[in-house]
Amino acid sequence: MIKTLLVAAAERVLNGALNLDPHFAAPLKKVQHKVLAIEIRDWQQTFALTYTGQSFMLFNNFQEQSDCHISASIATLSELKEPSQLTRLIRQEKLDLEGDLHLAQTYSQSFSNLDIDWAEHLSEYLGDAGAQQLVQQIKHVITRTKKADSILSNTTQELCQDELKVTIHPLEMTQFKAHTRELKQHAAQLEQRINQLLAR
Amino acid sequence: MKESQQNTTDFGYKTVARDEKASMVADVFHSVAAKYDIMNDLMSFGIHRLWKRQAIACSGVRKGHRVLDLAGGTGDLTAKFSQLVGDTGQVILGDINDSMLKVGRDKLRDLGLVNNIEYVQMNAEALPFPDNSIDVITIAFGLRNVTDKDAALKSMYRILKPGGRLLILEFSKTDSEALSKIYDFYSFNLLPSMGKLVANDSESYRYLAESIRMHPDQETLKDMMENAGFEQANYQNMTGGIVALHRGFKY
Ligand SMILES: C[S@@+](CC[C@H](N)C(=O)[O-])C[C@H]1O[C@@H](n2cnc3c(N)ncnc32)[C@H](O)[C@@H]1O
Repeated sequence: MIKTLLVAAAERVLNGALNLDPHFAAPLKKVQHKVLAIEIRDWQQTFALTYTGQSFMLFNNFQEQSDCHISASIATLSELKEPSQLTRLIRQEKLDLEGDLHLAQTYSQSFSNLDIDWAEHLSEYLGDAGAQQLVQQIKHVITRTKKADSILSNTTQELCQDELKVTIHPLEMTQFKAHTRELKQHAAQLEQRINQLLAR
Repeated sequence: MKESQQNTTDFGYKTVARDEKASMVADVFHSVAAKYDIMNDLMSFGIHRLWKRQAIACSGVRKGHRVLDLAGGTGDLTAKFSQLVGDTGQVILGDINDSMLKVGRDKLRDLGLVNNIEYVQMNAEALPFPDNSIDVITIAFGLRNVTDKDAALKSMYRILKPGGRLLILEFSKTDSEALSKIYDFYSFNLLPSMGKLVANDSESYRYLAESIRMHPDQETLKDMMENAGFEQANYQNMTGGIVALHRGFKY
Protein backbone atom coordinates (compact mmCIF):
# COMPACT_ATOMS: atom_id res chain seq x y z
CA MET A 1 0.00 0.00 0.00
CA ILE A 2 2.95 2.34 0.63
CA LYS A 3 3.94 1.80 -3.01
CA THR A 4 0.45 2.63 -4.15
CA LEU A 5 0.59 5.75 -2.01
CA LEU A 6 3.91 6.85 -3.54
CA VAL A 7 2.60 6.18 -7.04
CA ALA A 8 -0.46 8.26 -6.24
CA ALA A 9 1.84 11.09 -5.12
CA ALA A 10 3.96 10.78 -8.27
CA GLU A 11 0.79 10.95 -10.37
CA ARG A 12 -0.12 14.17 -8.60
CA VAL A 13 3.27 15.70 -9.31
CA LEU A 14 2.98 14.78 -13.00
CA ASN A 15 -0.47 16.30 -13.21
CA GLY A 16 0.78 19.36 -11.38
CA ALA A 17 3.49 19.61 -14.04
CA LEU A 18 0.80 19.48 -16.72
CA ASN A 19 -0.99 22.44 -15.21
CA LEU A 20 2.20 24.44 -14.88
CA ASP A 21 3.55 23.79 -18.35
CA PRO A 22 0.78 23.14 -20.89
CA HIS A 23 3.34 22.60 -23.70
CA PHE A 24 4.73 19.63 -21.89
CA ALA A 25 1.97 17.28 -22.97
CA ALA A 26 1.48 18.66 -26.48
CA PRO A 27 3.36 15.79 -28.18
CA LEU A 28 1.35 13.30 -26.11
CA LYS A 29 -1.95 14.37 -27.68
CA LYS A 30 -1.12 12.11 -30.61
CA VAL A 31 -0.74 9.07 -28.39
CA GLN A 32 -3.40 9.78 -25.81
CA HIS A 33 -5.09 6.76 -24.21
CA LYS A 34 -2.19 4.53 -25.22
CA VAL A 35 -0.63 2.67 -22.34
CA LEU A 36 3.12 2.66 -21.76
CA ALA A 37 4.27 -0.04 -19.37
CA ILE A 38 7.62 0.57 -17.73
CA GLU A 39 9.33 -2.30 -16.01
CA ILE A 40 12.11 -1.24 -13.68
CA ARG A 41 14.28 -4.32 -13.45
CA ASP A 42 16.19 -3.56 -10.27
CA TRP A 43 12.92 -2.86 -8.45
CA GLN A 44 11.06 -5.77 -10.04
CA GLN A 45 8.11 -3.47 -10.56
CA THR A 46 6.00 -2.63 -13.57
CA PHE A 47 4.28 0.71 -13.80
CA ALA A 48 1.77 1.85 -16.37
CA LEU A 49 1.51 5.39 -17.60
CA THR A 50 -1.23 6.78 -19.77
CA TYR A 51 -2.27 10.26 -20.80
CA THR A 52 -6.01 10.66 -21.18
CA GLY A 53 -6.00 14.06 -22.83
CA GLN A 54 -6.88 15.66 -19.49
CA SER A 55 -4.43 14.12 -17.11
CA PHE A 56 -1.89 11.39 -16.45
CA MET A 57 -2.77 8.15 -14.78
CA LEU A 58 -0.01 6.14 -13.23
CA PHE A 59 -0.45 2.66 -11.80
CA ASN A 60 1.80 0.20 -10.03
CA ASN A 61 1.24 -3.54 -9.92
CA PHE A 62 0.32 -3.48 -13.58
CA GLN A 63 -0.37 -6.79 -15.33
CA GLU A 64 -2.59 -5.75 -18.21
CA GLN A 65 -1.91 -5.44 -21.94
CA SER A 66 0.00 -2.32 -22.89
CA ASP A 67 0.72 -0.69 -26.24
CA CYS A 68 4.40 -0.55 -25.49
CA HIS A 69 6.40 -2.32 -22.83
CA ILE A 70 9.89 -1.21 -21.94
CA SER A 71 12.12 -2.94 -19.47
CA ALA A 72 15.41 -1.58 -18.13
CA SER A 73 17.29 -0.67 -14.99
CA ILE A 74 16.59 2.64 -13.32
CA ALA A 75 20.02 3.92 -14.41
CA THR A 76 19.27 3.17 -18.06
CA LEU A 77 15.87 4.77 -17.82
CA SER A 78 17.35 8.03 -16.60
CA GLU A 79 19.42 8.16 -19.82
CA LEU A 80 16.17 8.28 -21.77
CA LYS A 81 15.97 12.01 -21.11
CA GLU A 82 17.70 12.19 -24.51
CA PRO A 83 15.16 10.74 -27.00
CA SER A 84 17.91 9.85 -29.47
CA GLN A 85 19.32 7.41 -26.91
CA LEU A 86 16.39 5.06 -27.17
CA THR A 87 17.53 3.08 -30.18
CA ARG A 88 21.14 3.05 -28.96
CA LEU A 89 20.09 1.56 -25.64
CA ILE A 90 18.03 -1.07 -27.41
CA ARG A 91 21.00 -1.95 -29.65
CA GLN A 92 23.24 -2.25 -26.61
CA GLU A 93 20.62 -4.56 -25.11
CA LYS A 94 20.37 -2.35 -22.06
CA LEU A 95 16.71 -1.84 -22.74
CA ASP A 96 14.03 -4.21 -24.01
CA LEU A 97 11.15 -2.81 -25.94
CA GLU A 98 8.05 -4.65 -27.08
CA GLY A 99 5.29 -3.00 -29.05
CA ASP A 100 4.99 0.52 -30.35
CA LEU A 101 8.44 2.16 -30.52
CA HIS A 102 6.85 5.46 -31.48
CA LEU A 103 4.96 5.58 -28.18
CA ALA A 104 8.15 5.28 -26.14
CA GLN A 105 9.84 7.90 -28.33
CA THR A 106 6.96 10.30 -27.89
CA TYR A 107 7.06 9.99 -24.12
CA SER A 108 10.81 10.35 -24.05
CA GLN A 109 10.57 13.47 -26.19
CA SER A 110 7.84 15.03 -24.14
CA PHE A 111 9.61 14.39 -20.85
CA SER A 112 12.83 15.85 -22.21
CA ASN A 113 10.90 19.01 -23.11
CA LEU A 114 9.77 19.18 -19.54
CA ASP A 115 10.55 22.66 -18.36
CA ILE A 116 9.11 23.32 -14.96
CA ASP A 117 9.99 25.38 -11.96
CA TRP A 118 10.11 22.31 -9.75
CA ALA A 119 11.13 24.35 -6.70
CA GLU A 120 8.03 26.43 -6.77
CA HIS A 121 5.87 23.48 -7.62
CA LEU A 122 7.15 21.06 -5.06
CA SER A 123 7.22 23.64 -2.32
CA GLU A 124 3.47 23.36 -2.28
CA TYR A 125 3.86 19.80 -1.15
CA LEU A 126 7.00 19.84 0.90
CA GLY A 127 7.66 23.29 2.29
CA ASP A 128 10.22 25.68 0.81
CA ALA A 129 13.48 24.41 2.31
CA GLY A 130 12.87 20.82 1.34
CA ALA A 131 11.92 21.67 -2.21
CA GLN A 132 15.00 23.84 -2.67
CA GLN A 133 17.26 21.02 -1.56
CA LEU A 134 15.50 18.52 -3.76
CA VAL A 135 15.87 20.71 -6.81
CA GLN A 136 19.59 21.14 -6.13
CA GLN A 137 19.95 17.39 -6.03
CA ILE A 138 17.98 16.89 -9.20
CA LYS A 139 20.18 19.44 -10.98
CA HIS A 140 23.21 17.41 -9.94
CA VAL A 141 21.55 14.35 -11.38
CA ILE A 142 21.03 16.06 -14.68
CA THR A 143 24.56 17.41 -14.99
CA ARG A 144 26.32 14.31 -13.77
CA THR A 145 24.46 11.58 -15.58
CA LYS A 146 27.24 9.10 -14.82
CA LYS A 147 26.40 9.03 -11.17
CA ALA A 148 22.72 9.56 -11.84
CA ASP A 149 21.66 6.29 -10.34
CA SER A 150 23.20 6.69 -6.92
CA ILE A 151 22.30 10.34 -6.52
CA LEU A 152 18.75 9.74 -7.58
CA SER A 153 18.33 6.98 -5.08
CA ASN A 154 19.97 9.09 -2.38
CA THR A 155 17.66 11.92 -3.18
CA THR A 156 14.66 9.71 -3.00
CA GLN A 157 15.93 8.15 0.17
CA GLU A 158 16.61 11.49 1.83
CA LEU A 159 13.37 12.88 0.59
CA CYS A 160 11.50 9.91 1.92
CA GLN A 161 13.31 9.84 5.24
CA ASP A 162 13.33 13.53 6.00
CA GLU A 163 10.35 14.93 4.21
CA LEU A 164 7.78 12.23 3.83
CA LYS A 165 8.89 9.99 6.67
CA VAL A 166 7.97 6.85 4.77
CA THR A 167 11.12 4.81 4.42
CA ILE A 168 13.31 4.16 7.40
CA HIS A 169 16.94 3.99 8.38
CA PRO A 170 18.25 0.44 9.00
CA LEU A 171 18.69 1.24 12.71
CA GLU A 172 15.14 2.43 12.96
CA MET A 173 14.12 -0.74 11.19
CA THR A 174 15.85 -2.93 13.78
CA GLN A 175 14.23 -0.96 16.55
CA PHE A 176 10.88 -1.19 14.82
CA LYS A 177 11.21 -4.95 14.45
CA ALA A 178 11.95 -5.30 18.15
CA HIS A 179 8.90 -3.22 18.94
CA THR A 180 6.71 -5.29 16.67
CA ARG A 181 7.89 -8.49 18.30
CA GLU A 182 6.98 -7.03 21.67
CA LEU A 183 3.67 -5.82 20.39
CA LYS A 184 2.91 -9.18 18.88
CA GLN A 185 3.57 -10.83 22.24
CA HIS A 186 1.33 -8.35 23.98
CA ALA A 187 -1.38 -8.87 21.43
CA ALA A 188 -1.16 -12.62 21.90
CA GLN A 189 -1.40 -12.23 25.67
CA LEU A 190 -4.30 -9.86 25.29
CA GLU A 191 -5.99 -12.24 22.95
CA GLN A 192 -5.63 -15.05 25.46
CA ARG A 193 -7.12 -12.88 28.19
CA ILE A 194 -10.02 -11.86 25.99
CA ASN A 195 -10.65 -15.49 25.15
CA GLN A 196 -10.56 -16.41 28.84
CA LEU A 197 -12.99 -13.64 29.65
CA LEU A 198 -15.27 -14.69 26.82
CA ALA A 199 -15.14 -18.30 27.93
CA ARG A 200 -16.42 -17.47 31.41
CA MET B 1 -25.78 -19.56 1.08
CA LYS B 2 -29.21 -20.90 0.23
CA GLU B 3 -30.82 -17.63 1.16
CA SER B 4 -32.83 -17.45 -2.05
CA GLN B 5 -35.28 -20.00 -0.75
CA GLN B 6 -36.08 -18.22 2.48
CA ASN B 7 -38.40 -15.38 3.30
CA THR B 8 -36.02 -13.57 5.56
CA THR B 9 -32.55 -12.12 5.11
CA ASP B 10 -29.92 -10.24 7.07
CA PHE B 11 -29.95 -6.51 7.59
CA GLY B 12 -26.74 -6.02 9.47
CA TYR B 13 -27.22 -8.33 12.46
CA LYS B 14 -30.99 -8.08 12.32
CA THR B 15 -33.16 -10.47 10.39
CA VAL B 16 -35.78 -8.84 8.23
CA ALA B 17 -38.30 -9.88 5.59
CA ARG B 18 -36.58 -10.33 2.21
CA ASP B 19 -38.78 -7.80 0.46
CA GLU B 20 -38.01 -5.19 3.11
CA LYS B 21 -34.21 -5.21 2.92
CA ALA B 22 -33.96 -3.10 -0.23
CA SER B 23 -35.99 -0.25 1.19
CA MET B 24 -34.16 -0.41 4.51
CA VAL B 25 -30.82 -0.22 2.67
CA ALA B 26 -32.27 2.66 0.69
CA ASP B 27 -33.04 4.53 3.91
CA VAL B 28 -29.47 4.08 5.09
CA PHE B 29 -28.03 5.59 1.92
CA HIS B 30 -30.63 8.36 1.63
CA SER B 31 -29.57 9.30 5.08
CA VAL B 32 -25.80 9.23 4.47
CA ALA B 33 -25.69 10.51 0.86
CA ALA B 34 -24.80 14.14 1.57
CA LYS B 35 -21.98 13.30 3.99
CA TYR B 36 -20.92 10.11 2.20
CA ASP B 37 -17.61 11.29 0.71
CA ILE B 38 -16.30 13.01 3.80
CA MET B 39 -17.25 10.02 5.96
CA ASN B 40 -15.45 7.70 3.56
CA ASP B 41 -12.23 9.66 3.96
CA LEU B 42 -12.57 9.85 7.72
CA MET B 43 -13.57 6.26 8.29
CA SER B 44 -10.81 4.73 6.22
CA PHE B 45 -8.19 7.44 6.86
CA GLY B 46 -8.28 8.03 3.11
CA ILE B 47 -7.18 4.48 2.34
CA HIS B 48 -10.34 3.80 0.33
CA ARG B 49 -8.74 5.86 -2.43
CA LEU B 50 -5.82 3.41 -2.59
CA TRP B 51 -8.15 0.40 -2.61
CA LYS B 52 -10.06 1.95 -5.51
CA ARG B 53 -6.83 2.79 -7.31
CA GLN B 54 -5.85 -0.87 -7.19
CA ALA B 55 -9.25 -1.86 -8.58
CA ILE B 56 -8.77 0.51 -11.51
CA ALA B 57 -5.26 -0.84 -12.18
CA CYS B 58 -6.74 -4.35 -12.42
CA SER B 59 -9.79 -3.38 -14.46
CA GLY B 60 -8.15 -3.37 -17.89
CA VAL B 61 -10.46 -0.51 -18.90
CA ARG B 62 -9.36 1.01 -22.21
CA LYS B 63 -10.46 3.59 -24.73
CA GLY B 64 -13.82 2.81 -26.26
CA HIS B 65 -14.98 0.46 -23.49
CA ARG B 66 -18.49 0.44 -22.11
CA VAL B 67 -18.16 0.27 -18.32
CA LEU B 68 -20.79 -0.18 -15.64
CA ASP B 69 -19.89 1.23 -12.21
CA LEU B 70 -22.55 -0.64 -10.29
CA ALA B 71 -23.66 0.57 -6.86
CA GLY B 72 -21.42 3.43 -7.93
CA GLY B 73 -22.82 5.87 -5.40
CA THR B 74 -20.95 9.14 -5.52
CA GLY B 75 -18.92 8.07 -8.54
CA ASP B 76 -15.26 7.87 -7.47
CA LEU B 77 -14.57 5.04 -9.91
CA THR B 78 -16.75 6.54 -12.63
CA ALA B 79 -14.61 9.70 -12.58
CA LYS B 80 -11.47 7.72 -13.46
CA PHE B 81 -13.16 5.41 -15.94
CA SER B 82 -14.70 8.36 -17.76
CA GLN B 83 -11.20 9.59 -18.58
CA LEU B 84 -9.89 6.15 -19.49
CA VAL B 85 -12.66 5.26 -21.97
CA GLY B 86 -12.52 8.64 -23.74
CA ASP B 87 -15.06 10.04 -26.20
CA THR B 88 -15.68 6.74 -27.93
CA GLY B 89 -16.46 4.91 -24.70
CA GLN B 90 -19.16 5.19 -22.11
CA VAL B 91 -19.50 4.83 -18.36
CA ILE B 92 -22.79 4.09 -16.69
CA LEU B 93 -23.08 5.01 -13.05
CA GLY B 94 -25.74 2.66 -11.74
CA ASP B 95 -27.23 2.81 -8.27
CA ILE B 96 -30.49 1.85 -6.63
CA ASN B 97 -30.60 5.07 -4.70
CA ASP B 98 -31.45 8.38 -6.37
CA SER B 99 -30.01 10.46 -3.51
CA MET B 100 -26.61 8.86 -4.03
CA LEU B 101 -26.91 9.25 -7.81
CA LYS B 102 -27.70 12.91 -7.42
CA VAL B 103 -24.70 13.56 -5.18
CA GLY B 104 -22.57 11.65 -7.71
CA ARG B 105 -23.90 13.57 -10.68
CA ASP B 106 -23.27 16.95 -9.03
CA LYS B 107 -19.77 15.94 -8.03
CA LEU B 108 -18.75 14.65 -11.47
CA ARG B 109 -20.25 17.66 -13.18
CA ASP B 110 -18.17 19.91 -10.94
CA LEU B 111 -15.12 17.95 -12.05
CA GLY B 112 -16.04 18.81 -15.65
CA LEU B 113 -16.85 15.22 -16.54
CA VAL B 114 -20.01 15.32 -18.61
CA ASN B 115 -19.64 13.83 -22.07
CA ASN B 116 -19.55 10.09 -21.65
CA ILE B 117 -21.34 9.39 -18.36
CA GLU B 118 -24.88 8.17 -17.94
CA TYR B 119 -26.72 8.02 -14.61
CA VAL B 120 -29.20 5.20 -14.28
CA GLN B 121 -31.18 4.07 -11.29
CA MET B 122 -31.09 0.29 -11.20
CA ASN B 123 -31.18 -2.74 -8.95
CA ALA B 124 -28.13 -4.99 -9.19
CA GLU B 125 -30.38 -8.05 -9.06
CA ALA B 126 -32.05 -7.25 -12.39
CA LEU B 127 -29.76 -5.15 -14.54
CA PRO B 128 -31.53 -3.22 -17.31
CA PHE B 129 -29.12 -4.12 -20.14
CA PRO B 130 -29.20 -6.58 -23.03
CA ASP B 131 -27.04 -9.73 -22.91
CA ASN B 132 -23.35 -9.31 -23.83
CA SER B 133 -23.37 -5.53 -23.84
CA ILE B 134 -20.80 -4.37 -21.24
CA ASP B 135 -16.99 -4.67 -21.26
CA VAL B 136 -16.23 -4.18 -17.59
CA ILE B 137 -18.40 -4.12 -14.46
CA THR B 138 -17.16 -2.88 -11.11
CA ILE B 139 -19.06 -3.00 -7.86
CA ALA B 140 -17.20 -1.30 -5.02
CA PHE B 141 -18.47 -1.62 -1.46
CA GLY B 142 -21.91 -2.34 -2.88
CA LEU B 143 -22.44 -6.09 -3.06
CA ARG B 144 -22.87 -6.56 0.69
CA ASN B 145 -25.98 -4.35 0.54
CA VAL B 146 -27.64 -6.43 -2.16
CA THR B 147 -30.36 -8.81 -0.91
CA ASP B 148 -29.98 -11.65 -3.42
CA LYS B 149 -26.27 -11.71 -4.22
CA ASP B 150 -26.49 -14.82 -6.38
CA ALA B 151 -29.12 -13.23 -8.58
CA ALA B 152 -26.99 -10.10 -8.83
CA LEU B 153 -23.89 -12.06 -9.89
CA LYS B 154 -25.89 -13.94 -12.53
CA SER B 155 -27.31 -10.69 -13.83
CA MET B 156 -23.81 -9.22 -14.10
CA TYR B 157 -22.57 -12.30 -15.92
CA ARG B 158 -25.43 -12.11 -18.39
CA ILE B 159 -24.77 -8.52 -19.49
CA LEU B 160 -20.98 -8.88 -19.78
CA LYS B 161 -19.54 -9.30 -23.25
CA PRO B 162 -17.47 -12.44 -23.81
CA GLY B 163 -13.97 -11.41 -22.78
CA GLY B 164 -15.46 -9.01 -20.28
CA ARG B 165 -14.68 -8.98 -16.60
CA LEU B 166 -16.21 -8.22 -13.22
CA LEU B 167 -14.37 -6.62 -10.30
CA ILE B 168 -15.78 -6.72 -6.80
CA LEU B 169 -14.18 -4.52 -4.20
CA GLU B 170 -15.59 -5.27 -0.78
CA PHE B 171 -14.79 -5.53 2.89
CA SER B 172 -13.76 -9.03 3.73
CA LYS B 173 -12.26 -11.19 6.46
CA THR B 174 -8.82 -10.52 7.84
CA ASP B 175 -6.89 -13.60 8.87
CA SER B 176 -4.94 -11.85 11.58
CA GLU B 177 -6.79 -12.23 14.88
CA ALA B 178 -5.16 -9.22 16.47
CA LEU B 179 -5.98 -7.02 13.50
CA SER B 180 -9.52 -8.31 13.46
CA LYS B 181 -10.03 -7.42 17.14
CA ILE B 182 -8.73 -3.91 16.68
CA TYR B 183 -10.89 -3.62 13.61
CA ASP B 184 -13.98 -4.87 15.47
CA PHE B 185 -13.44 -2.37 18.23
CA TYR B 186 -12.96 0.37 15.68
CA SER B 187 -16.03 -0.43 13.64
CA PHE B 188 -18.47 -1.13 16.45
CA ASN B 189 -17.40 1.53 18.91
CA LEU B 190 -15.60 4.32 17.11
CA LEU B 191 -17.36 4.18 13.75
CA PRO B 192 -20.92 4.75 14.96
CA SER B 193 -19.70 7.60 17.16
CA MET B 194 -17.94 9.18 14.21
CA GLY B 195 -21.11 8.71 12.21
CA LYS B 196 -23.03 10.48 14.92
CA LEU B 197 -20.56 13.29 15.17
CA VAL B 198 -20.14 14.03 11.47
CA ALA B 199 -23.37 12.86 9.90
CA ASN B 200 -25.55 12.84 13.03
CA ASP B 201 -26.51 9.28 12.22
CA SER B 202 -24.98 6.49 14.29
CA GLU B 203 -27.59 3.89 13.28
CA SER B 204 -26.60 3.93 9.60
CA TYR B 205 -22.95 3.47 10.48
CA ARG B 206 -23.79 0.67 12.86
CA TYR B 207 -25.56 -1.01 9.94
CA LEU B 208 -22.43 -0.54 7.77
CA ALA B 209 -20.26 -2.23 10.40
CA GLU B 210 -22.68 -5.10 10.85
CA SER B 211 -23.25 -5.63 7.14
CA ILE B 212 -19.49 -5.94 6.68
CA ARG B 213 -19.41 -8.81 9.18
CA MET B 214 -22.32 -10.58 7.48
CA HIS B 215 -20.70 -10.45 4.06
CA PRO B 216 -19.32 -13.76 2.70
CA ASP B 217 -15.58 -14.27 3.17
CA GLN B 218 -13.05 -14.39 0.31
CA GLU B 219 -13.40 -18.07 -0.61
CA THR B 220 -17.20 -18.08 -0.32
CA LEU B 221 -17.53 -15.10 -2.61
CA LYS B 222 -15.15 -16.69 -5.10
CA ASP B 223 -17.34 -19.82 -5.11
CA MET B 224 -20.43 -17.69 -5.61
CA MET B 225 -18.79 -16.07 -8.63
CA GLU B 226 -17.97 -19.45 -10.10
CA ASN B 227 -21.55 -20.60 -9.52
CA ALA B 228 -22.77 -17.61 -11.46
CA GLY B 229 -20.58 -18.70 -14.39
CA PHE B 230 -17.46 -16.60 -13.96
CA GLU B 231 -14.16 -18.13 -14.97
CA GLN B 232 -10.68 -17.62 -13.56
CA ALA B 233 -12.26 -16.15 -10.45
CA ASN B 234 -9.59 -15.01 -8.03
CA TYR B 235 -8.97 -12.40 -5.38
CA GLN B 236 -6.26 -10.34 -3.79
CA ASN B 237 -6.33 -9.18 -0.18
CA MET B 238 -5.55 -5.61 0.72
CA THR B 239 -4.73 -4.11 4.11
CA GLY B 240 -4.47 -7.55 5.68
CA GLY B 241 -7.73 -8.79 4.18
CA ILE B 242 -9.88 -6.00 5.58
CA VAL B 243 -10.68 -5.42 1.92
CA ALA B 244 -10.51 -7.93 -0.94
CA LEU B 245 -10.59 -7.38 -4.67
CA HIS B 246 -12.27 -10.26 -6.52
CA ARG B 247 -12.03 -10.60 -10.24
CA GLY B 248 -13.72 -12.95 -12.69
CA PHE B 249 -14.02 -13.28 -16.46
CA LYS B 250 -16.70 -14.29 -18.93
CA TYR B 251 -15.49 -16.14 -22.01
C1 LIG C 1 -21.07 2.06 0.35
S1 LIG C 1 -21.81 2.69 -1.15
C2 LIG C 1 -20.50 2.53 -2.31
C3 LIG C 1 -20.44 3.67 -3.29
C4 LIG C 1 -19.22 3.70 -4.23
N1 LIG C 1 -19.17 2.53 -5.08
C5 LIG C 1 -17.95 3.86 -3.46
O1 LIG C 1 -17.17 2.91 -3.44
O2 LIG C 1 -17.71 4.91 -2.88
C6 LIG C 1 -22.96 1.42 -1.57
C7 LIG C 1 -23.95 1.80 -2.66
O3 LIG C 1 -24.67 0.65 -3.05
C8 LIG C 1 -25.97 1.04 -3.42
N2 LIG C 1 -26.85 -0.13 -3.46
C9 LIG C 1 -27.33 -0.83 -2.40
N3 LIG C 1 -28.10 -1.86 -2.82
C10 LIG C 1 -28.10 -1.84 -4.19
C11 LIG C 1 -28.71 -2.64 -5.20
N4 LIG C 1 -29.47 -3.69 -4.88
N5 LIG C 1 -28.49 -2.33 -6.48
C12 LIG C 1 -27.71 -1.25 -6.81
N6 LIG C 1 -27.11 -0.47 -5.90
C13 LIG C 1 -27.30 -0.74 -4.59
C14 LIG C 1 -26.30 2.09 -2.38
O4 LIG C 1 -27.36 2.93 -2.79
C15 LIG C 1 -24.98 2.83 -2.23
O5 LIG C 1 -24.89 3.94 -3.06
